[in-house]
Amino acid sequence: MKAVCWMGTHSIEVHDVKDPEIINPQDAIIRITKTAICGSDIHLYDGYIPTMEAGDILGHEFMGIVEEVGSEVKKLKRGDRVVIPFTIACGNCFFCKDNLWSLCDNSNPNAHVAETMYGYSGSALFGYSHIYGGYAGGQAQYARVPFADVGPIKIENDLSDESVLFLSDIYPTGFMGAQNCNISPGDNVAVWGCGPVGLFAIASAYMLGAGKVFAIDRFPERLKLARECGATTIDYSDDDVIIVEALRDLTGGVGPDCCIDAVGMEAHSSTLVGVYDKVKQALMLETDRPFVLRQAFMAIRKGGTLSIPGVYGGVLDKLNFGAAFGKGIHMAMGQTHMHNYLAPLLKSIEDKKIDPTFMISHRIGIQQAPEFYKKWQEKEAGMTKIVIDPWQDTIANPVVRVMERHSA
Amino acid sequence: MATEVIPTDASKLKSVAQIAEGTAYKPLPQKAEDGYVTAHAIQTIAADPQTLYTLWRNVEAFPRWQEYVVSVKELGAGKSHWVMGNPEDKDGTRVEFDSQIERDTPGERIGWKSVTKGVEQEGVVTFVPAENGRGTIVTLIQKQRVPGGAVGNAVAAVAKRGPKQIVIEDLRHFKEMVEAGEIPSVAGQPHGPRGVTGSVKEWMLGETNPTPPGSSEQR
Repeated sequence: MKAVCWMGTHSIEVHDVKDPEIINPQDAIIRITKTAICGSDIHLYDGYIPTMEAGDILGHEFMGIVEEVGSEVKKLKRGDRVVIPFTIACGNCFFCKDNLWSLCDNSNPNAHVAETMYGYSGSALFGYSHIYGGYAGGQAQYARVPFADVGPIKIENDLSDESVLFLSDIYPTGFMGAQNCNISPGDNVAVWGCGPVGLFAIASAYMLGAGKVFAIDRFPERLKLARECGATTIDYSDDDVIIVEALRDLTGGVGPDCCIDAVGMEAHSSTLVGVYDKVKQALMLETDRPFVLRQAFMAIRKGGTLSIPGVYGGVLDKLNFGAAFGKGIHMAMGQTHMHNYLAPLLKSIEDKKIDPTFMISHRIGIQQAPEFYKKWQEKEAGMTKIVIDPWQDTIANPVVRVMERHSA
Repeated sequence: MATEVIPTDASKLKSVAQIAEGTAYKPLPQKAEDGYVTAHAIQTIAADPQTLYTLWRNVEAFPRWQEYVVSVKELGAGKSHWVMGNPEDKDGTRVEFDSQIERDTPGERIGWKSVTKGVEQEGVVTFVPAENGRGTIVTLIQKQRVPGGAVGNAVAAVAKRGPKQIVIEDLRHFKEMVEAGEIPSVAGQPHGPRGVTGSVKEWMLGETNPTPPGSSEQR
């Protein structure tokens, strides 16, 4: 089969590799119909997530048709149409039983690596480095899915692949990001980052009763989509904008009740501190650029809740923890407990409360993946979400036009 | 070799596992001295003590869940014959020895010791109900001779892991088999060309150790 492989920092190649096979009795093999590139894949592309190995198959947002099931799979059968959550959970351990699925005890073959770095290991993930298990990812034509009765959700309606694909990660991740900041009716919510997770966080915050949502980014197309979700947008690249002040002004001097960091470890900043972080990260003196966290610590109202769906990998520098303490804020974070959200969020799509396809800007074939990793990393104009058809080599016109998208 | 290094006294181990109120924490034995390493692992496993005891006492099933066990034959009266090595490497190193169960309290503990001259290892596993209803606190303590070579430490002679990590992985695999019904593995999955650096990383992360097959029959 064809697969998108990480070959080193800033090096992505499509290779012909052997097809996956059943390894364990609860495995299923999925013939992938659609997959996507996630913003968090850029952390891998840029080499900031440790324990990648040359040849690793990337991709953790995918869906498809069940091709084959292992001897212990009871609920799925060949031909079922499924979306695969990006976290791998056994369904039986203390954490799974407590609905903390992304903290499953029993899915990571490399748990000892995570224990060395983090004390304990969370669940394994698809295509996301060996500290998270080293499972081959879904930017390929087939994938092996462990614990197939626990994770995949069957799609038994006629919704298009693209309508349900984002149940694999970004919609639940944005939703949990909003849910984790304990929104009370009428609360002001600030969202850093209007990439796909940020956009879903904005939409979800309104579903959960937010009063106003303020969205922070610098790219016009992302800010436009955020406004279409109902947010008031703040362009931090504007020289006159100071984020902490902007959020104070917009919230009657109080500060946002809830803050969501949908950016994570590779935050950008035009200030001197931003340059300092970039240099330190490049020199491996810090692993993450926590610029958003620094701003959020300052901007959030006293006693507010900060939710962090953005990915962090390691050691952070120059974090004003005194601000977080002094204002008595609450924090919630972590990989998404995917399995809690699949059914309810599928229903929200079926009920037409949201059409997740609104953010798709590009459709590509698998051979275009290396080129589009580069473009996505460079934030080429108009690029908001890339969907891959792994059975096409190239799609001649990959651009999904924004205006057409919304006239439908 | 002094058996006393491993506290086979049940009351001592129970006090650690149950974290008795009003008592001082006493670390489990974990030391390297005189050519021996004593290491431990502890896990809370979602099953009752009797079930876990029965699974562990079935020594012939060890190859299903413990790394580097090729085969085990029960010889009766608590004695068993062990063949250690990489099961996937038919021509690889094999170390054979006999082991004797010395303390066997159904539902509570199993203590064993090698009885083959030159192979020096002993261990104890205890099963204590978790008071918070989360199953059973399983404590595994092993004392092994290091460096092993073909004699001395039969496990370290064939495994690509440190003696402490071996103990941790053994108990982890036991837990995974019991709770998940299988042992997670990525062995044999597809990947692009690894090249030199990729292969070195695989080895450094311990991914070249063979994963035991696990078994859903245990659920």
